[in-house]
Amino acid sequence: MAFENHEEGHFTVVRIDESRLDASVAEVFKTYVFDLIEEGRSNIVVDLAEVRFMDSTGLSVLVAGLKKLSGNGSFSLACAQPAVRDLFDLTSMDKLFKLHGSVAEAVKGS
Amino acid sequence: MNILIVEDARDQRLMLSIVLKKQGHQVLEAENGIKALEILQEYQDVRIIISDWMMPGMDGLELLRQTRKTDLGRYIYFILLTGNADHEAVVEGMNDGADDFLAKPVNFDELAARLKAGIRIIELEKQLEQQNKQLIEAIQTVEKDLESAAKAQEVLLAQPTTIQHVAFDWFFKPSKILGGDMFGYQAIDGETLGFYQLDVAGHGIPSALFSFTLNNILSETSGRGSIIKETLDHEPFYKVRAPEKVLASLNRRFQVTPESMLYFTIAYGLINSRTGQVTLSQAGHPKPLWIHREKAYVEPVAGGGVPIGMMPDMEYTSCTLQFRPGDRLFLYSDGVTECENAESEQFGETRLLQCLQDTLNDDLKSVIDQVEKNVRDWSELDRFDDDVTYLLLEWKP
Repeated sequence: MAFENHEEGHFTVVRIDESRLDASVAEVFKTYVFDLIEEGRSNIVVDLAEVRFMDSTGLSVLVAGLKKLSGNGSFSLACAQPAVRDLFDLTSMDKLFKLHGSVAEAVKGS
Repeated sequence: MNILIVEDARDQRLMLSIVLKKQGHQVLEAENGIKALEILQEYQDVRIIISDWMMPGMDGLELLRQTRKTDLGRYIYFILLTGNADHEAVVEGMNDGADDFLAKPVNFDELAARLKAGIRIIELEKQLEQQNKQLIEAIQTVEKDLESAAKAQEVLLAQPTTIQHVAFDWFFKPSKILGGDMFGYQAIDGETLGFYQLDVAGHGIPSALFSFTLNNILSETSGRGSIIKETLDHEPFYKVRAPEKVLASLNRRFQVTPESMLYFTIAYGLINSRTGQVTLSQAGHPKPLWIHREKAYVEPVAGGGVPIGMMPDMEYTSCTLQFRPGDRLFLYSDGVTECENAESEQFGETRLLQCLQDTLNDDLKSVIDQVEKNVRDWSELDRFDDDVTYLLLEWKP
């Protein structure tokens, strides 16, 4: 599975190098993000630029990450592509996450 | 251990037999390959063959090939006796599945040692066979239970019917034996009908169990515990709860932990069978499609809403649609539009809209069948990767 992360200021940018965030990669991604949070990273930006398709399981791991932080930090999403943006619209994800057009915008002010 | 000796020379066969019996083995004898095969079929406890190579009729190598080719239901450990240390013969024997070789004349100490190795393998094989048998039995039990559960799920599904001039029909196909999709409809009072279609994230047993629970909760219309109907202390002693309140209430009841993300999307609505007024509330569900029959167009009903169970304290909204006689509403799970063809292209909302547009004047059953046909033709597979469910209702006062 292709995930990587790097620090930008006090943000941890997690990049998903997969075209699909679905049941086949969701569990691995969840472990990856949970590990980061358990290591103490608390301001996480998920870069979705490569993700062309996301299903309900993919969506659920993003929410799981948000819940894992339980308010102690921030969990935002950047660069959602059209199909993913449609899913976010349908499920009103703007009520749960800050959605950014770019990683630069997400880490602004850091 | 039961050993079969195959040797055409009578004296040599006898000698081997005596030595092996002395070592405590059960021994059977055959003078050629054909006889040996008969014995193998007849005596199921034979697990080791010691066979001469050169024999009239069927030789040792052919016997070896036949043994490997035949389904005997058990593994036979095969030791070939070779007249000389012919290298090519050994290679040929190995290729055909011989387990070991013994040079003639037979050294009995070596024979004992080689048999010991063979017995070790057979014991391991027996253990594996036993474990396999237990596994198969266990799987059969689980499969039987799953089939019973699937039957139970089918019983939960409402039958196509007409209630108070509102006709309902549907399609339901779980991707595995059990699905996480569910739907339902019923009269709540003399003029109000409730209907819903939901999709629990994931598939399989946990999702299915959750969908069973939700079906129970959403079909409970009486008593103080009812989520869709409030009890009042004064006339008329009840109030049909607004769809957005039903969703908020479900959301309060089911909150997931970060570890288990079992949430669901739903479209829940009420239809007044007298006036044709529809109130619809959604939580992250694909947009229901309003089929205007008279004006001949299909309109997605926007809704939004966070899926139920993701986050506490969410508010939901509902919209009101004034149906004209003959108007229809199509509720569906994302398994319909996300169904992919061989090129990984999704069926999509546009094709679904077109299909409903093309079937404006068909009866409900024909519409249900046509959508199924279009989705199946698209996927070109017998099975679906996700649960595929849709519910169609029509107001015909």
